[in-house]
Amino acid sequence: MVRDNPSITTENLTAVQLMEIDSCTRCGECVQWCPTYDASGKKPGLAPRDKILRWQEYMKKSYGLRARLFGPKQVPEEEIEQFKEDVYGCTTCAMCATVCESGINTVELWEAMRANLVKRGNGPVGKQPMFVKLIGEYGNPYMADPKERISWVPDDVKIEDKADILYFGGCTAELRQKKLAFATARVLNHLDIPFTMLGEDEQCCNSALVRTGQYEIEDISRKSARKNVDGIKAKGATKVLFACAGCYRTALVDWPRLLGEELPFEIIHITEYLDKLIDEGKINWKQPFDNKTITYHDPCHLGRHVGVFEPPRKVLRSIPGLNFVEMDRIKDNQRCCGAGGGVKAGIPDLALGVAETRVEDALAKNPDILSSACPFCKRNLCDGRDSVKADNLEVEDIIVLTAEALGIDLSDCEDQAR
Amino acid sequence: MAMEYYAGISDAMRITFVQVMILATIAIVIFLYGMYINLKKWGLGAESYGQKPSKGSIFTFPKTLAYQLSEDGHGHGQNIIVTLVLDILLQRRIMRRSPLRWFMHITIFVGWMALFIMSLLMFLVELLHMAHLGIGPEPAVFREFLSPINDLFSYILLTGIIIAIARRLFIPRMREATIAYDSILLGGLTLITVTGFISDGIRNGTFWGMGLENHLAPPAALFHVIISLLFCIAYIPYSKYIHMIASPLTILANKGGE
Repeated sequence: MVRDNPSITTENLTAVQLMEIDSCTRCGECVQWCPTYDASGKKPGLAPRDKILRWQEYMKKSYGLRARLFGPKQVPEEEIEQFKEDVYGCTTCAMCATVCESGINTVELWEAMRANLVKRGNGPVGKQPMFVKLIGEYGNPYMADPKERISWVPDDVKIEDKADILYFGGCTAELRQKKLAFATARVLNHLDIPFTMLGEDEQCCNSALVRTGQYEIEDISRKSARKNVDGIKAKGATKVLFACAGCYRTALVDWPRLLGEELPFEIIHITEYLDKLIDEGKINWKQPFDNKTITYHDPCHLGRHVGVFEPPRKVLRSIPGLNFVEMDRIKDNQRCCGAGGGVKAGIPDLALGVAETRVEDALAKNPDILSSACPFCKRNLCDGRDSVKADNLEVEDIIVLTAEALGIDLSDCEDQAR
Repeated sequence: MAMEYYAGISDAMRITFVQVMILATIAIVIFLYGMYINLKKWGLGAESYGQKPSKGSIFTFPKTLAYQLSEDGHGHGQNIIVTLVLDILLQRRIMRRSPLRWFMHITIFVGWMALFIMSLLMFLVELLHMAHLGIGPEPAVFREFLSPINDLFSYILLTGIIIAIARRLFIPRMREATIAYDSILLGGLTLITVTGFISDGIRNGTFWGMGLENHLAPPAALFHVIISLLFCIAYIPYSKYIHMIASPLTILANKGGE
């Protein structure tokens, strides 16, 4: 008797992840906290629990007892297509992982499922397939000439050829939200901290490819990570500063995995670095804010993913003239801004819906400023702010606020905030 | 007749003893085959991130688990002893999310495990007694010793089950999300517990015996044993009961989780 092939493979899933799928107790805690499930009007397929159950069923149909005895039972293609839509309807914010009673590492599970579906020919969704072409061809997702990566550098900013500290700007700050790169470079100069950059040799960190399951295509992610790591080594850096939460997480967690080796330098987020300088008494604030109320949105990739919660708060609390207030949902309980996991490019309406809810969270505390430590969060929160017409709410990155409080002029920066 | 059997294997109940031993063996074989299938299924995964899928060896999963346990976490790693005690035994992750759900689960967990261990102990004492080795306590004495502890943990288990059923019935969110996968778990657990109470009640003539004749006690006990072996052991790898094995392993693999 000829048996059918299984409808799904186990590509990109580890043996432990396949076991994790069977550990779900269906307690439903993840369903209550999922931001995209919430913003979609509670679409059942987006519930993390439901996705795990479906993959569990596919595994049973393909490799379970019945499949062993009588051959695999086919999963209809339209069912897998729907499953793909649902797996991509996730910002990889890790809220479900945080509340999971079984401790399932859901983010890595979704990413593994996405990579599996990409290989199967189903994923990704929306504009996400463009990431491969753009990053492969240009080294960034904005189709920008690599030379543009340094076009923002003003004459007064001094970037060393080689230094112990390297600032990894990231595509969004260098090519779109240039004010962030301006601010970071000028803050470092202002504090007399010599630093270097990769300049036009910098490659995209590949967060977009990893999060959307496309990291194995044409080996682009591994090659880019290799170029970045080799470039950083050649610059003689032992500390690499990131002002982008997405780049930071990818360098810290994904680069070592992609390359199969430990990185020969330290990965530091700019807020961690500033926190240390504040402790050492090396920061003298010169331009206090005019009694502004500020709140802080934890980027998922900086907070829940890798546990950096306090440094950004410490920086904001130390800036004179800022009254720091917390939103109700913060730190490991924070609500995602909606931009991550490729959702902004893949399902923009869903991203906006989540952003609106997060802006509402902030507005409940009546702040003048909603701050974050990630250009992608800033961009989506700005969209959310505009959508709910909260015109008086300023959305700004911590490094820009830091620069302003240090009395650094950023008015000469041409910022393509979108 | 009332006290001539304990774990169901005294001389007077030799047929029951043979039946129980055969059933226990079958249950264990079914369990082992199920775990073999699960290990083969899990073994189709890669041994670590970015590697090719394995070929379904039963050794792939333990190897991958050991490798993952030896890796450093990224900001969320914690000591394995802390994980074992706080997250697995005391179920801290459930407590953080819902004290009521924690109370429900911990009562089921503690009741279930205690009764399972006490059943094994009673079984062992009777086996030793029947082997005439002259070691171990008298079964009748040991049973009397266990009796109040048994009652205590039976009621602890029952409390958890009642809360679980009530949540599924009266909380709309829970009721609407309940599927057969969940119901079979809870139904099996309820059946084991209730048959345990009834068989004990018939034997001792208590309220739970519901006035049934004493001669019905052995078949009631046998039925309870069959149901327990079926759900407690044999059915674990094929159902939601697998979470009893997979959830602690997941928590362990992820160093306590996010």
